Amino acid sequence: MSTAIEYFQFVLAPQMLIGLVLGVAVILVALGLTIIFGLLDVINMSHGEFYALGAFIALALGSIGLPFWLLLILVPLVMLPVGYIVERGLIQRVFHSGERHVTTLLLTFGLGLVMEDAFRLVFGPNPHKPETPIVGAIDVFGVFLPLYRLFLIVGGAVVVALVALVVYRTRLGAMVRAAAFDRHMAASLGVPVQHVYAGAFAFGVALAGLAGVLLAPVYSAFPTMGRDFILMAFTVVIVGGMGSIAGVVVAGLLLTQVQAISSLYISPVWSDPIVFGIMVIMLMVRPQGLFGRLGHG
Amino acid sequence: MTTPVLEVRGLSVNFGGLRAVDNVSFAVARNRVTTVIGPNGAGKSTLFNLISGAVRAAAGHVLIDGTDCTGQTPNRLQAAGLARSFQITNLFFELSVAENLRLAAQILEPVRMALRPVASSRTTQARVDELLERFDLAGKRAMPVAKLSHGEQRRLEVAVALAGKPKILLLDEPTQGMSHGDTADTAHLIKSLASDVTVLLIEHDIGLVMSLSDTVIVMHQGQKLAEGTPEAVRGNPDVQSAYFGHA
Amino acid sequence: MADALTRSMRASHVLVAILVVASLIFAAIGVVNGDTFYLRLGTEALIFAGLALSVDVLLGYTGLLSLGQALYFGLGAYISALVLMVTPSFWAAMGATFVATIAIGAIGGFIANRVRGVYFALITFGMAQVAAKVVYNARTLGASDGLIGVPIIKVDFGFAAISTASPAGFFLFTLAFIVILYALAAYLLDTPFGRLLIALKANERRVPFLGYDTVTPRLLAYVIAAVIAALSGALYPMLRGFVSPELLFFSTSGNAVITVVTGGVGTLVGALYGGILLTLMKSVIGSYTEHHLIVIGLLFMGAVIFLPRGLMGIVRPAIARILERRTKS
Repeated sequence: MSTAIEYFQFVLAPQMLIGLVLGVAVILVALGLTIIFGLLDVINMSHGEFYALGAFIALALGSIGLPFWLLLILVPLVMLPVGYIVERGLIQRVFHSGERHVTTLLLTFGLGLVMEDAFRLVFGPNPHKPETPIVGAIDVFGVFLPLYRLFLIVGGAVVVALVALVVYRTRLGAMVRAAAFDRHMAASLGVPVQHVYAGAFAFGVALAGLAGVLLAPVYSAFPTMGRDFILMAFTVVIVGGMGSIAGVVVAGLLLTQVQAISSLYISPVWSDPIVFGIMVIMLMVRPQGLFGRLGHG
Repeated sequence: MTTPVLEVRGLSVNFGGLRAVDNVSFAVARNRVTTVIGPNGAGKSTLFNLISGAVRAAAGHVLIDGTDCTGQTPNRLQAAGLARSFQITNLFFELSVAENLRLAAQILEPVRMALRPVASSRTTQARVDELLERFDLAGKRAMPVAKLSHGEQRRLEVAVALAGKPKILLLDEPTQGMSHGDTADTAHLIKSLASDVTVLLIEHDIGLVMSLSDTVIVMHQGQKLAEGTPEAVRGNPDVQSAYFGHA
Repeated sequence: MADALTRSMRASHVLVAILVVASLIFAAIGVVNGDTFYLRLGTEALIFAGLALSVDVLLGYTGLLSLGQALYFGLGAYISALVLMVTPSFWAAMGATFVATIAIGAIGGFIANRVRGVYFALITFGMAQVAAKVVYNARTLGASDGLIGVPIIKVDFGFAAISTASPAGFFLFTLAFIVILYALAAYLLDTPFGRLLIALKANERRVPFLGYDTVTPRLLAYVIAAVIAALSGALYPMLRGFVSPELLFFSTSGNAVITVVTGGVGTLVGALYGGILLTLMKSVIGSYTEHHLIVIGLLFMGAVIFLPRGLMGIVRPAIARILERRTKS
């Protein structure tokens, strides 16, 4: 019995905590992705680069002395107009073509390439690690946990709750959901669909930026940081159900736990194929994902 | 008594609690025009979707030449001799008129021809030319479907359905949105088809239905209300209150 | 009488003929100057054009966007390298690649074709990512270093043999190889089977009502594209003498998509011109800055917005019109 407890305390629990931190990180990135897909039907291939952009903006502003806590608010605010302009200036240009899915995917893919190379040009290829805003660690039931990671878990939960609150409980959110369900109906009811679309894209991008600020102290900021995250984020969005916020949370926590725990028993090399295998099986048996789409019940 | 070419037995389907098609049965005589009429929402198009395999029936059977074809996929039903057109034009819009017909006609070729250049198949080419003539589309053969007028698209919709030489042709409002003159032309065309094809038609133009049909089936709220010759149906008091009363 | 689709395919043939002539001139100049670098670069451009060709068979004709075609390109490259390290036979390498790709392509196609549209794009993306990770970590495949020391071989035709070490010889051989792949794809797309694929792209939902099964043709298209990608990839270790996991990375798949989109989706020849254009741009821009991706990415975005039919989307109809005038007069 005591060995089981020790096994939990020293082997399983730390691993699950690492998985939890990663889970929160993935959820933060995937949240914007799923909102953009749910509303605009756009696969934002540059989402990972917007996540990196948030981290780099924080890095630049931090280097001129702005405190981390201010950046948490400032960076998403800076990202909002960026996202708005990208939607109106780029995505709307191909949004009405017959093969919208493909063209918007290609366009954002190109944008991601440009952004990634631009980061390399400005910041160089090597990782930058911002100072950890909260130093120290605590003991959670005998498990060592850095305070900043604890903050990340709590902060992540708060962000998810706020986003859900905005989408499901405010007038703004109601407009967004109406536009997602039927844009023509929404437009005839006086919803400014064009602005809702651009606004939702900006919101998704700002969320990615916020994730960048929050995660850079843990995972560092480097040009390809978005790429490493994006497959996992896509997987989470698909398994959770494209456009579903609850789906992202459940799938994000579930898949990162599968990854964390499985890597205890088999080579970590196989954790990606396992997670991806879950996605494939999901697509084959339940293509709509665990939860339905935004605005669709 | 001969086996009917198409027979429907107790066909039913529900959409979200609503009985869209409710226990509908009828038989269609060979090389005749049978028309399904009824107010909007009576279940006519859904009935076609059930017969053609686009939607799976909750209950009932579809028999072609006495063979049970219930639940088969559209491509299997086509092989059994059943083809259909659509109420909302459903063609290959970016391809030419001739290519739309060629695609529909190439099903008649043996599989071994699948890897021979398309230009080498004279029988398919001849079939395409024949259809272009018959449907008065020869002048537009190279034009993309998207650039045709509405009336021409509706005609091509019927021609494409006919190209694979079906025994039974389901035509879902072929004259939908057509001008008066075009409607009359199409009526002639459909009448001429019935010499070698069995036609099951959905139509709203009552004048056309009366002049064209050998048998009329009236649907109302998912159920078959009446069936008979145009005259008999016209005189049926139930039909008058349910259908003509609304008109 | 040839219809519009056959005529535009003929226009593609003319453009390929022009490309072949230009390549022969390029090779002659290379031989005269005793060049190695540019001939090798040209060979590599053609090999990646083969990968782009496979993307176009799926995207331009069947309407399926694959973001993971590098999976089969890399598969071909690794199998070819492994075979050549055991037995230095071109035909053995190609045969093994062909057989293995049909088997693996059928499995991949079965999985990917369960879904449509963006889901297809994401699932192909994911499959390639997983394969890349596995190869990257597999010690028997040299892990992140890849396989080095693939021997120089002679491609033996019985009556003649070409050494992979000869820059001009292997360039011309690769040119012939890729043109044959193009010709096979072009032939296939002008048959009832190919036209069915075009119909699937144009309006998938109507196809079953014409009497066709849609699952098998789509799977076959997927396998054919996989084979084209793998056979092109199999040439890679013959050219460079090594293979590395980068060949399976998303950047490889992504480059192929960029190539096809800028070259012209649904033209086949666009893949070849696009492949050469991209290689050219990389080496020209690369001589000024290492950040060529910014330029290429911006050009690609410009093509998606302003030139949705790509370069050949403009050139090919012009050629088709000239051909038409000549047949009429």
